[in-house]
Amino acid sequence: MATDAAALVIETSHLTKIYQNRQIALNDATLAIEPGTVLGLLGPNGAGKTTFLRLVLGLHTPTAGWAKVFGKRMTPNAADLRRRIGYIPTNPQFPKGMTPIVYLDYIGRLFGMPANSRKPMLASLIRAVDLLPHAGEPIAYFTPGMTARLAVAASLINEPDLLIWDEPTHGLDIEARRSMLELIKRLAADKTLILSSHNLTDVDEVCNHAAVLNKGQLIFHGSLQDLKGRIRKNHYELDIEGDQKSIAKTVQQIRVMKEVGSAVLRHRRLELKLVDDVPNTAVLAMVFQTMADNKVVLVSVRSVGMQTEQAYLDMVEKEEQRGFTRLYQSAEAA
Amino acid sequence: MDATATRTPIRFNRLLPYWAVLQTDLRQTAHSWVFRLWVLLSLLSAAGYGLYKYGIHHEAGIVQSASMQTGDLLRGVAVASLAFVALLSVSAVSSERSTVADAVLCRGISRYQYFMAKWHARTAVVLAAFAVLSAIVLTGYHYLLDPDLTFGGGVAATAIALAALACVIAWGVTIGALANGTVIAITIFWMLLYGTILLCSFLPDPFPSPTYVMTQMRSILKGNYDEYRVGRVVAGFLIAAAVGATVGLVGFRRKDV
Repeated sequence: MATDAAALVIETSHLTKIYQNRQIALNDATLAIEPGTVLGLLGPNGAGKTTFLRLVLGLHTPTAGWAKVFGKRMTPNAADLRRRIGYIPTNPQFPKGMTPIVYLDYIGRLFGMPANSRKPMLASLIRAVDLLPHAGEPIAYFTPGMTARLAVAASLINEPDLLIWDEPTHGLDIEARRSMLELIKRLAADKTLILSSHNLTDVDEVCNHAAVLNKGQLIFHGSLQDLKGRIRKNHYELDIEGDQKSIAKTVQQIRVMKEVGSAVLRHRRLELKLVDDVPNTAVLAMVFQTMADNKVVLVSVRSVGMQTEQAYLDMVEKEEQRGFTRLYQSAEAA
Repeated sequence: MDATATRTPIRFNRLLPYWAVLQTDLRQTAHSWVFRLWVLLSLLSAAGYGLYKYGIHHEAGIVQSASMQTGDLLRGVAVASLAFVALLSVSAVSSERSTVADAVLCRGISRYQYFMAKWHARTAVVLAAFAVLSAIVLTGYHYLLDPDLTFGGGVAATAIALAALACVIAWGVTIGALANGTVIAITIFWMLLYGTILLCSFLPDPFPSPTYVMTQMRSILKGNYDEYRVGRVVAGFLIAAAVGATVGLVGFRRKDV
């Protein structure tokens, strides 16, 4: 990441949030986000993702550290900065008794948009998110999918440069989720996006950067490729064919190899875990040779786990295993 | 879904967010069940009390002074209204915390504008409703009972009650904005409110305690009042309201929502 502070969309330094001296929600998060980044904010429940987003938005004030947005310090009163941000909370809530037209008009006025730019914009957005037939109906009767589409429209009404979407595909059906992902891809062309998500498939599809939070600690920040590069390339599944005797003999021979951590046969699928720090190509070559010697046919071979998911899980696991050494080693993100 | 392609620079109006929250809250407060219940109960109690006194006045022939009955009623309604007004004012900010407030405060509105809009909306709705109720009661009782009310006295008495309510609303909104939950905020506010009234009733004579002022309603309504003293009482309540709102503004400026 470049270090030109003026060009950064978001910059945080030692950002820390402790709620009422009872709960450490975010601990010393330092990161920088450049324009055009589509950042996937990952982490288990309670990792501090929403807290991080709320601090960046100025909804919460940091206990220590600071967050800058577009080069300026974000505070609860920084209305000018928030005019350039479009936000969707996890479960968007709407005032009672409003229709989409009234609600979007209200949001437009909250941004200070005059009627001549607000009204055409809200009409375009209602059409764009397919809410035209429901434009006059009370939001209270909307399905989760319609509510999510309305929240998207609300986050775009001010033509923001930065979009912060907290779990945008949460509760959506397959079709609505697909539409949301396509929209994110199109928006990514000229906006900076931060997507908090549990769904690693979504992150893998639309994001080019990732930040991983675990128990309030930022344990990774970098490109998605970097994250995938940290995957442990030692877990494979092999679909095999041949007579039962040959397969059993092959598995036995593979198990005695010192480079193989474990080899488990389930029906015709061999689950293979290699020990760490060995060149996987050489070990796999030995395995394949053993299979060939025993006349066992290899149907398919694949690395286990979706790459981003595996990398993420590995990262969280490694972080857990570091124990007290966390105190002396800075986060890998730094 | 399809993003819009047109992009024209927007010239933002910085006062618009304040108006948006003010208008929305005016409508929501007027439609809330607490407000409707308060207005309904006040109207019913005023009508019932008035008809009862009218019966005594006309059927039993016992003269009922309009100033005395109106004074008693206004005092009763004001004290009974405190519970409702406290609910309305405290819930202004606290009931939206972590829900609708997120969707509002993440837009182009400052904390100051949000707090002021909420405070002004609640004050406007409650005071307008109380002023209309007072006007109805004063006019009705003037014609139904022995007419010893004066216009100036009615205005002065209503002004005192309105100023007291404005003070209650300002502190209610402030406590609601600074507390972490609606229930705890209402509890704290009720305790403070009734505790303050009780403590003020022990104030020595030169100090215009709320209890003393309320008992003086009868003579004020008859026109027997010192304008300077009434002005001082009204100003006292308004200053207390301004202090309350300032505390709220300063506290809410950095409060997590």
